[in-house]
Amino acid sequence: MFEFNYVKAKSLSDAAGLIAAHPEAKLLAGGMTLIPTLKQRLAQPSHLVDVGGLPELRGIEMKNGRLAIGAAMQHHEVATSAVVMKAIPALAYLADHIGDPQVRNRGTLGGSVANNDPVADYPAAVLALDATIVTTKREIAAADFFQGMFATALAEGEIIVRLLFAVPKRAAYEKFPHPASGYAMTAVFIAETAAGVRVAVTGAGPGVYRWSGAENALAKKLSSAALDGLTVDPKDMNADIHATREYRANLVKVMAQRAVEKLLATK
Amino acid sequence: MSEIHAATRREDLRLITGRGRYTADWCLPGQLHACFLRSDRAHAEIVSIDARPALKRPGVVAVFTGADAVAAGYTQFPNMMAFTGRGGTTILKPDRPVLAAGKVRYVGETVAMVVAESALAAQDALDAIEIEYNDLPVAVTIEDALAAGGPQLHANVPGNLCFEYEAGNAAAVDQAFAKAAHVTRLKVLTTRVAPNPMEPRACLVSYDAASEAYDIYTCSQGIVMLRRQFSVLTGVPEEKLRFHLHDVGGSFGQRSAVYPEYAAQMIAAKKLGRPVKWVSSRSEGFMSDSHGRGIAIAGELALDRDGRFLAARYQFDCDMGAYLTPTGPVSHLRNPATLMTGVYRIPALYGSFRVVLTNTVPVAAYRGAGRPDIAYAVERLVDRAASELNIDRTELRRRNFIPPDAFPYKTPTMGVYEQSDFAGCLDKALEDADWAGFAKRRDAAGKRGKLRGIGLSTIIEATGAGMYPKDQVAIEFDAQGKLTVYTVSLSSGQGHETTFAAIVAQTLGVPAEEVTLRESVQGKDLTGNHTGGSRSLVGAGSVCKLAAQKLIEHAKPLAAEELELEPSQIDYADGAFRERGGDKMIALMKLAQKHAGKSPHPLNVTAEASVGSTWPNGCHIAEVEIDPATGVTQIMSYVAVDDSGNVINHSIVEGQVHGGVVQGAGQIFGEQVIYDRDSGQLLTGSFSDYSMPRAGMLRDIHVGDHPLPSKLNALGAKGVGESGCTASLSTFANAMTDALRPLGVPHLDMPFTPSKVWHAIRNAKAK
Repeated sequence: MFEFNYVKAKSLSDAAGLIAAHPEAKLLAGGMTLIPTLKQRLAQPSHLVDVGGLPELRGIEMKNGRLAIGAAMQHHEVATSAVVMKAIPALAYLADHIGDPQVRNRGTLGGSVANNDPVADYPAAVLALDATIVTTKREIAAADFFQGMFATALAEGEIIVRLLFAVPKRAAYEKFPHPASGYAMTAVFIAETAAGVRVAVTGAGPGVYRWSGAENALAKKLSSAALDGLTVDPKDMNADIHATREYRANLVKVMAQRAVEKLLATK
Repeated sequence: MSEIHAATRREDLRLITGRGRYTADWCLPGQLHACFLRSDRAHAEIVSIDARPALKRPGVVAVFTGADAVAAGYTQFPNMMAFTGRGGTTILKPDRPVLAAGKVRYVGETVAMVVAESALAAQDALDAIEIEYNDLPVAVTIEDALAAGGPQLHANVPGNLCFEYEAGNAAAVDQAFAKAAHVTRLKVLTTRVAPNPMEPRACLVSYDAASEAYDIYTCSQGIVMLRRQFSVLTGVPEEKLRFHLHDVGGSFGQRSAVYPEYAAQMIAAKKLGRPVKWVSSRSEGFMSDSHGRGIAIAGELALDRDGRFLAARYQFDCDMGAYLTPTGPVSHLRNPATLMTGVYRIPALYGSFRVVLTNTVPVAAYRGAGRPDIAYAVERLVDRAASELNIDRTELRRRNFIPPDAFPYKTPTMGVYEQSDFAGCLDKALEDADWAGFAKRRDAAGKRGKLRGIGLSTIIEATGAGMYPKDQVAIEFDAQGKLTVYTVSLSSGQGHETTFAAIVAQTLGVPAEEVTLRESVQGKDLTGNHTGGSRSLVGAGSVCKLAAQKLIEHAKPLAAEELELEPSQIDYADGAFRERGGDKMIALMKLAQKHAGKSPHPLNVTAEASVGSTWPNGCHIAEVEIDPATGVTQIMSYVAVDDSGNVINHSIVEGQVHGGVVQGAGQIFGEQVIYDRDSGQLLTGSFSDYSMPRAGMLRDIHVGDHPLPSKLNALGAKGVGESGCTASLSTFANAMTDALRPLGVPHLDMPFTPSKVWHAIRNAKAK
């Protein structure tokens, strides 16, 4: 780790000011990606601006029929929130399957979404539930927010404040954890919303994406059998020492079918 | 010895409440910190290296490079190979300067060492070292290393082949194969794995100019062998090397040897006159702690018409990495050669070995050290033969077991097996695993869409006799008359403080709390073997009993004097000497207190014994279920029935078996060190890519004892440290093969990752 200055921001505007004043500064929330990166000396920020405890970024509540979750809420808090479990139990389930207990008690919703790791869990839910990302500058629709591997619509100095999730009729998340890292080797979030069934896939390809083929099939009939005839093109998939493209393509379909079955089993 | 059932061990509270003292916990006044520049390429000439820019960095005191290592003469590591190879050849030992000189040969090799006022300053300065490399082609696989015209790692090792060895009788085997009714063939690879003890490797060295001696704190498996290894590498006489060895967080063979970093620290500590400390990061550990296994085995088994084994033939290709570790070659050769016959009567055996160098981390002994490898080959061959001949796998084994009346059984290759009951272990395991009820469980799994399989192995091991011909144990009394037992073994999780103290306490008839154990203590003039090869209980443990017995005999005249009787008039029982037919008595501990303060204490004793190899054996059975849609395997049950000889503490036996079986499961289902074949880069350099087994992988392990006391040591123990690994590799693989057989999946080898299993199923279905 290189030396850096640690600053605990007093408020959101204080954090924004610090980030603007120091071009080499980085925001720190849970640090679950940032700290390993620093330890490997892959980043050398001048300052770490800690926003993890800011009241503006905290809280979980129902607001105008939408579930609002503060960006600094830790995975464990989301997983165990009675509000989340009532509104979108699949989201609580997802949060409960991120990393390990240490990660879940440090990592945050905003940090995960801002990082947009192609194997992260939250982006699948955010995209499938068509969530709105509220930042210090504007509101961004999920579809516009994720822009491929580690890339988002966030501008320099823009900080995620909270996420707003429309409550679906039903939803389900099915994850195949990577055997070593525990990240999603492939995971599928399916939401049955007022606007139709939405299927988001994470882990399998270069970034989170919606599987329109599955959405069309499920629009006709919401059953796992509806996906039987579909194939996933392996050339769109990631390959590494743990799994081939063909294997991940298979997992997309299997996880989607299992997510549908899980969704249908919920009331 | 009566068996002890204890839920907790004496050392547990200290270790789990952060009161253990591991190497990184030690600090010395004025200490400096070392950090190593490691090669970022697998094979290259060092064209130039300029450390001067690093010296200008804040806090940096000195930088050392290969030139310093060569000047110190620290270039030849010890090697435990004590036998000759094919045609009387001796093993070719490549030079290994403790900081690379001229060339680097694997990613992670130590190239330079920065010594600074803080670890952070040392790490910061690494970037400033200017180094120019000329990249060379790489060979990270055995195949590439042996290929004609391939990269040449060391000038004195032509074709990267440093040793060829053979065991058994080739002509007898050829004859037997010629008349065989059936021959089963199989090629397997026991993958290269990273042992990953919980404690990172670390070392603290100080030099005392007045006595010209070094004080060394490090993680170890025992003082005597470590001291010898340091001395051989550095030329420093053993009496000038003072070791301070305390708690060790896992060893697995990986902590048995001297490492380059330690010797480099000795150079710095002497030159700078200040202690030098180094603590490895986990990332460094993956690329600098010795790896384990890595043997490609081609096996052939010849059978007659009735399924009786006639002969077996093996070709072993051992991947040793870029340099030879002290234990690597001997453990990869001797143990497989000794155990080629497994638990079977096979009249003719032949094995041919090649020891090969590759551009990878050097390989050393790793839990089992060749025993799991040969058991994997033998037990998979036997299962395959049963399948090919359509003979039940338990029946084929029974037909070929060495029968009870054949012991002591002299194998065609070096071993003399002591009394064993292979059929008894098999029967007990079949019963405990409800083997007979498996068909129903398979049907039920099939209805749930799962492929269920059951597999077994019947295995035997030769425990390590050790490189020292005898093991010594001392019992001494301090100024207060308190009793301490000294051994040269060193626990790294095996629970010696509980077991060895209990052996002494029981033999003396005193409460266990009266006995303190101290291991590998500097200044104790004892010899013996380190902890490894499943030998500590068998060796040090049995000598603990002998020492306690010796103490009683030794104390008798003093007790008689105290009681004003003749020694012939007193007996020892329940911790005290008592007058025969009278009521005079004195407790041993009371007697010790009466003489407290004398130096040396008159009751002090040292006992010793030459304890050779013992032969633990057993039968393990696993059941697995595969989800054909994802290739994911779930381990449904595991039964381990072991003949570990007399059991001293069943809880500790269970712990050993659990650990070994889970390490086996880790290797079978995911663990594997992978290098990029073209660049030689390490692709599994962190826990993000290296699949360590997780606690939930195996929900329950049934451990059953089937003890036949050994006659080879005072405890009747056979050893248990490695049986879990030795048996579980083949047990899991045989269960996987059984689950996949109905689909017609051909041979599949470890690791059985979901992706690999799914592809195998898909390919079989496509046919």
